[in-house]
Amino acid sequence: MHPVQLFCWHFMAYPHLPEDFDEKYDTGWVTVPNSLWDSEKSRGLFQDYIDQLAYADDLGFDGLVLNEHHQNIYGLMPSPNLIAAALTQRSTRAKIVVLGNLLPLHINPLRVAEEYAMLDNMSNGRIIAGFAPGGGPENYNYDIPSVTSRERFWEAVDLVVRSWTDDGPFNHEGHYYPLRYVNPWPKPTQKPHPPIWVPGSRSASTLTEVAKRGYCYFLSSRSHGGETYKAREQFSKVLEDYGDTYHPFRMGILMSAYVSETDAQAKEECEEGVWYFLRNCLKGHLRKEGRQLTFGAGVPYIPAPAWKEFLKHSDPNRSMLGDVNDWDELDKAQSIVVGSPETVHRKILSLIEKSQVGNLLIQFHLGNMPGELALKSQRLFATEVAPALREDSARVFANAYPRMEETLAGGAVA
Amino acid sequence: MSARTLEINGRKVSVLEDGSGDPTLYLHGFADVHAVTEGWMPFHDKLMEACRLYAPAHPGCAASDEIEYLESAEDLVFHYLEVIDALGLERFDLIGACVGGWAAAELAARHPEKVRRLVLIDASGLFVSGAPIGDIFMMSHPVRGTDYSELRAMLFANDDAPAGHTLFPNGRAENLEDELRRYQMLRFTNRFGFNPPYFYNRSLRSRLHRISAPTLVVWGESDHMVPLAHGEAYAAGIPNSNGVKLVNGAGHSPQAEQPEATAGLVTGFLTG
Repeated sequence: MHPVQLFCWHFMAYPHLPEDFDEKYDTGWVTVPNSLWDSEKSRGLFQDYIDQLAYADDLGFDGLVLNEHHQNIYGLMPSPNLIAAALTQRSTRAKIVVLGNLLPLHINPLRVAEEYAMLDNMSNGRIIAGFAPGGGPENYNYDIPSVTSRERFWEAVDLVVRSWTDDGPFNHEGHYYPLRYVNPWPKPTQKPHPPIWVPGSRSASTLTEVAKRGYCYFLSSRSHGGETYKAREQFSKVLEDYGDTYHPFRMGILMSAYVSETDAQAKEECEEGVWYFLRNCLKGHLRKEGRQLTFGAGVPYIPAPAWKEFLKHSDPNRSMLGDVNDWDELDKAQSIVVGSPETVHRKILSLIEKSQVGNLLIQFHLGNMPGELALKSQRLFATEVAPALREDSARVFANAYPRMEETLAGGAVA
Repeated sequence: MSARTLEINGRKVSVLEDGSGDPTLYLHGFADVHAVTEGWMPFHDKLMEACRLYAPAHPGCAASDEIEYLESAEDLVFHYLEVIDALGLERFDLIGACVGGWAAAELAARHPEKVRRLVLIDASGLFVSGAPIGDIFMMSHPVRGTDYSELRAMLFANDDAPAGHTLFPNGRAENLEDELRRYQMLRFTNRFGFNPPYFYNRSLRSRLHRISAPTLVVWGESDHMVPLAHGEAYAAGIPNSNGVKLVNGAGHSPQAEQPEATAGLVTGFLTG
């Protein structure tokens, strides 16, 4: 039986913004002034966040998830590998997923190959290696030309993986990263290499490149209406084109959850953190207010014909997740699941049934949520939601994918 | 107006040409033909009264093919050497606006013998310490999804400039093709203008002394993208130039904001 894999994702938001932040600042990303950083209030912040992840390991989560952001209040991990290193010493069972290192931001991607190999050794083979190209904000953060960032990215991915699998030293005849000596020490613990996850937002080219290489596709969308279902359909189709078969552990999705004793209590406890997250952390990323840098003409990575299609079929006035006005709209976005253990179980199971995705990456700490609430929500989730969710999802997957056993027999889940 | 497509080494280059007189090559900027409008703007109409005007669309702009390996000013210069050969131009007048001006200066520094007279309009391309070139990419993300006032404020004297509202209106452009051309121009410039260094080539300044053509440096009096200090640096570095001619009531795009006055300056210089 193969139950859903439940991961605890921490973004490590900056929680000490002034109350009038949304009125005064047009973005939480790239140009948000770092004079707002309060060193005194931030003492112990990373320790608290690491403690929350270590607790998720104690609670039996299948994995802990980190990712890379720069110069913003949404995620304080310019180097997720540093936090991953700490977690190798603070956790014993959970996978450690770095989703991912932003390869085009590295002058030499071999540094990522080396650090992941160190982490895999330090964790005794618990690393899931994520690679991401970086989105709009990151192109501004490190002056990465958007037009070629995808090509850079895939060259770097292939170089890193080859450095783990082919005997060195070898010469990499790359366009962006020509290297005379590729010969990393140490090599990863896992063979042939750690599982590889790559995020995407349903672009055909990313789906294809991921399918071609047999990696796990992580849908980076934060909302889960019909798009998630479509992404899984698209990915299944692309896998078939490459003679491969979809099963739930080929894909992951991101969601947020807050669990408390009752629905009313859950809402009351997480409300401040949720709105801080939506209004402040998403401003500049998934919010129409202010200046949204994640996608648009300023980061012109999609070819002109695809942009023309986008212009034809999109509404510049459309709202995004960070623009929701109330709890009802938030509920419809299927992004942040809030409620009693029963409610959260019901909603997540329904999402699993519809999406048929087996890797659920769940954010528990939102915005400026107090640590003790995040810990309580994680605990209630692990003890009162996860057991039934595992049982029910295993049944769902066994029915829908009767041959998954054979597919998985040869390799690790994920 | 005649439009034609050159075939150069397997790639298409779209060229507009019109007027009669001395051959004049025009390399466009942002608020310009090929980068927004399909056809000539009033500025070009006025120019072609005095010359034979050739305006190729930069690689990837309008109907010109993208060049996937293009990542430096060097690549762009070699592209234009091939365009010049395909057009059969041996010695010609050369005008460039913004990145077109950068390309023109690079070309004139490498091949001074080909350029009879040179006109630079609010040209990027130089590194001037303390006067960074504005971030047109970030300004191309509208505020609240539809508001391009900060983009207009960067490309024009102010965000209320009528030319700004025509070429960069809020929301979707009435003609989607205009908005598509704007995108293509950003993609083209992203290839070599966003790759640090940002819209400049540090080596260019030390090469300006090679430019032998009489040169006119034209600048909008309130350019918020390429500061006037860049115009002054061009004028100081090019031996046969005579200071910076300012266009009143214009910012980065005098060709769009003050077409009469700007074309008057340019034709006066070319025919003088």
